[in-house]
Amino acid sequence: MKLHYYPGCTLKEKTTNLDESTYAAMKMLGYELVEPENWTCCGAEFPLNEEKIVGLAAPARILRQVEMEGGDKVVTACAFCFNVLKQTHIALLNDPLKQKRINAYLKDDIRIDPVTKERTTDFPEYRGDVQVLHLLEFIQKEIGYEKVRSLIRRDLGNLRAAPYYGCRLLRPKGETGIDEPDDPSIFEEFLESIGIGVVDFPFKQECCGSYLSVSLPDAASEVSYRILRSAKLNGADMVVLSCPLCYYNLDRRQDRIREKFLEFTGMPVLFFTQILAWALGVEAEILGLDQHFFDPRPVLGITDKAEVAS
Amino acid sequence: MRTILKLGKQEHRFIDRISELSGENVYSCYQCGRCSAGCPMAFEMDILPNQLIRLVQLGEEEALIASKTLFICASCFTCQSRCPKGINIANVAEAIRYLAEPKGKDHFGPDEVPAELADELP
Repeated sequence: MKLHYYPGCTLKEKTTNLDESTYAAMKMLGYELVEPENWTCCGAEFPLNEEKIVGLAAPARILRQVEMEGGDKVVTACAFCFNVLKQTHIALLNDPLKQKRINAYLKDDIRIDPVTKERTTDFPEYRGDVQVLHLLEFIQKEIGYEKVRSLIRRDLGNLRAAPYYGCRLLRPKGETGIDEPDDPSIFEEFLESIGIGVVDFPFKQECCGSYLSVSLPDAASEVSYRILRSAKLNGADMVVLSCPLCYYNLDRRQDRIREKFLEFTGMPVLFFTQILAWALGVEAEILGLDQHFFDPRPVLGITDKAEVAS
Repeated sequence: MRTILKLGKQEHRFIDRISELSGENVYSCYQCGRCSAGCPMAFEMDILPNQLIRLVQLGEEEALIASKTLFICASCFTCQSRCPKGINIANVAEAIRYLAEPKGKDHFGPDEVPAELADELP
């Protein structure tokens, strides 16, 4: 079955393991992912300022492209892209004036084909009919946990994973989140469906420090470490997440966390699609497990020899 | 002795501008403190989130623009999800940053990201 999928820039450049594992997992679940033609960056951050309305144009253009291609929904695996697209969708739906102003930009679009130099104008308006879903939501609502359970090829029952939501899947509170911001359970349900043990820990929806890891690295290390330590204290073998920035702070920056907190011995951090694809029997080589700072292969029982699906 | 707080034109203009930019009703805050209790970055802040809203209510533009808090808020929206009055404090902080920028107060530009981080940073 074909399904519109918006990857976002980071997944093509820096966290290709999230993109590739999403493709691999969805193929096993029977979906062919289609990227909207000529997609651009979503803007990465939904404008918090009511007057910076132009920030809605890029995400609205992506949604319009899905609409033009006949799609009624688009899924994302990146928590940031999900948040921007979903908030844009809601903002335009609830505010006719905003929709009118954004459509004034979109109507004037000109696309020049880089090869043929052919100019395309007369773009339609965005009607607001595209549903934005995070992949965790899509699995819950459209695929169903029963089906996922029936397709599991590897037994992960001896492992315990801590689901880390972070900010962008849950907040701002209201229509945006994929679950209740203060008491979410969708990630836990997902992990149960792939047969891995689930660890509940109090820091699962706490901020990882976001871009403070650049401007205030010490403060960011501290909040990142709180999360990893809490997961470890509650018996997790790994932290599972969906956001490339959380992945950066919790995995790639473990070097800095170790310098600051000498007792920290490290913790594997995986994207939810990597663990899903692994459970579904995808070979380890295409999951980008070698890109992690803390190598997750030993905990998954992957040695140098090619792993055979059990 | 009684202390009477009276806001002038300038203060009112500032509060109105913050309301316009953020889309939030800052007057509805009654200082319960749930925002500051839940804020993951509060340990680094000089003005706590509830104090930030109180200073907006008082029209204290200068104190707000001088505060470190503006650039410590990571916009994680934990305060927004806990606020019983539904105020989105991250939006209010962004509105103050927006007003601070023309006054020469900015914090961090993309050109200041260390090259070794830029390769990996999402």
